[in-house]
Amino acid sequence: MTFDDLLSLGPLFNICGGAVIAMLLVAIWRNHRLVYYFTLLVYILALASVVPVAKLLPHIIAPLVVVDMFALFNSGAIVGSGLIIVLLSYNYFEEREERKEEYYLLLLLATAGALVLVISRHFMSLFLGLEMLSISLYGLIAYLRARQRSDEAGIKYLILAALSSAFLLFGMALVYGFTGHMDFPGIGAYLQQAGSVPLPVVAGFGLMLIGIGFKLGIVPFHMWAPDIYEGAPLPVAAFVATISKGGVLVVLIRFFQDVNGTQYTMLWWILAITAVASMFVGNWLALTQQNIKRMLAYSSIAHLGYLLVAFLAGKQSGLEAIAFYLVAYFPTSIGAFGVLIVMSSSVQDAETAEDYRGLFWRYPWVALAFTVMLLSLAGIPLTAGFIGKFYIVLAGADGNHWFLLLMLVINSVIGLYYYIRIVAMMFRTTETPQRTFIKPALPLAGNITLGLVVLLLVGLGVYPSAMMQLIQQMMTLIR
Amino acid sequence: MNIHPTTAGMTLAGILFVLGLISILIRRNMIFMLLSVEIMLNAAGLAFIVASSHWAQPDGQVMFMFILSMAAAEVSVGLALILQLYHQLKSLDSDEASRMRG
Repeated sequence: MTFDDLLSLGPLFNICGGAVIAMLLVAIWRNHRLVYYFTLLVYILALASVVPVAKLLPHIIAPLVVVDMFALFNSGAIVGSGLIIVLLSYNYFEEREERKEEYYLLLLLATAGALVLVISRHFMSLFLGLEMLSISLYGLIAYLRARQRSDEAGIKYLILAALSSAFLLFGMALVYGFTGHMDFPGIGAYLQQAGSVPLPVVAGFGLMLIGIGFKLGIVPFHMWAPDIYEGAPLPVAAFVATISKGGVLVVLIRFFQDVNGTQYTMLWWILAITAVASMFVGNWLALTQQNIKRMLAYSSIAHLGYLLVAFLAGKQSGLEAIAFYLVAYFPTSIGAFGVLIVMSSSVQDAETAEDYRGLFWRYPWVALAFTVMLLSLAGIPLTAGFIGKFYIVLAGADGNHWFLLLMLVINSVIGLYYYIRIVAMMFRTTETPQRTFIKPALPLAGNITLGLVVLLLVGLGVYPSAMMQLIQQMMTLIR
Repeated sequence: MNIHPTTAGMTLAGILFVLGLISILIRRNMIFMLLSVEIMLNAAGLAFIVASSHWAQPDGQVMFMFILSMAAAEVSVGLALILQLYHQLKSLDSDEASRMRG
């Protein structure tokens, strides 16, 4: 292994090393504040180590990983989102759980798994990354032992994730058995040479798609999402909604690019139907939700549908749209969960829509921040979410996929309704004074983080060209 | 009738996989559900070993070792969770453990 290899894996090494040291730290001296600051430091170092890698791209460490601009960009997004989640976590866990230090350890390991996913170009690294992510998530989702719903969510996620891993693995074994390759370019080269796709390989791709679909939470494999979001601690729900899904999506994109998946019309149509179904089912079920956590779960299913539209558009513009959408969606979604975190008391989560009635008249700043997040999720102009959707529409128009775009627009309108409903709820005057509201913790670190996220979202929405230039630059570097 | 050993191995793995899938769909006891998932994972592992012997490469066997260690990690976390759930419910029935609706 050369020095360049080590340097190009800098963010991953930082996070992994941090996890080991955090474990020793917890063993020697159990102190929440210490572990919290240490984890923050690790994330900041990892974010800083993304920068020097840009010089050596694209860098392939055969056969397992490839560090190209797309991978590096998404590594940066993942580590940055992880940093925001850690910032929001301290107060949430301070009062809730007796042993809270291991949370940071598991969070670091899960982030490491997502980082392995975005750089993998081989079945083995894909599998390792995915399992590092999933197994840490079992622990994270069931972390609050005192809460009943927590271990129910944990065991549900465990059984379903293990089942989906089995599908993924069997699919991989079929593909490997008939092509003799486990690295993505090797499989692509085999398929190109063979001309047609043999039936077992088609079956293998199908099984792999089922496995990946479970992890992404797209229809028809979405049933787990709302229960997991409801039962998991709020910062973990934010993690599942963003980093875990983002990492899996990136590896799916890379696999499709390497095997040139969009040329197979049947596969394209299956994914198109999945995308449309995800948008409709996600938005439709979100309409009826009174629990905001469950609503966010269904809305994330719909957002994955939007991302699949950009993915199906293919081409350069589709990739750019996905990169921008992820950068817009990560902070928006984490920010929305962040509002729930700061509004929760030390014992109870503020998760029903009723908890937010008349919020503007009690806590105007929090209500304004939540409004910005919800409008960004809905895709209203002047927010990052709007620009993200705009680029997806551009990418779809570029590929002449008018049907998919029509579905996307219809769904954006449906989505608007339930986001605006919560905004309206917050601005309503409280005519029912007898009701006692949850006393929010409103931690300082959480408030500052939310402020920064709002600035980021509005900044990206008003002035997107800087981010888009960065993305376009990175895409030209791939070629 | 002469069957190629690779085909036979793959068929066996496929049968095991389907058996595991059927059993996870009909079982309601959480320990048995965990066991069925194990069977499916090992079926995939067997398929990898058959494939690697077909191509005379070690890759599939390396993969099997990863699957084995991942399955062990998964079972340990799973059993801990089931134990906790059992303390609360005094039951291993997955329908009884499912309380979230909507």
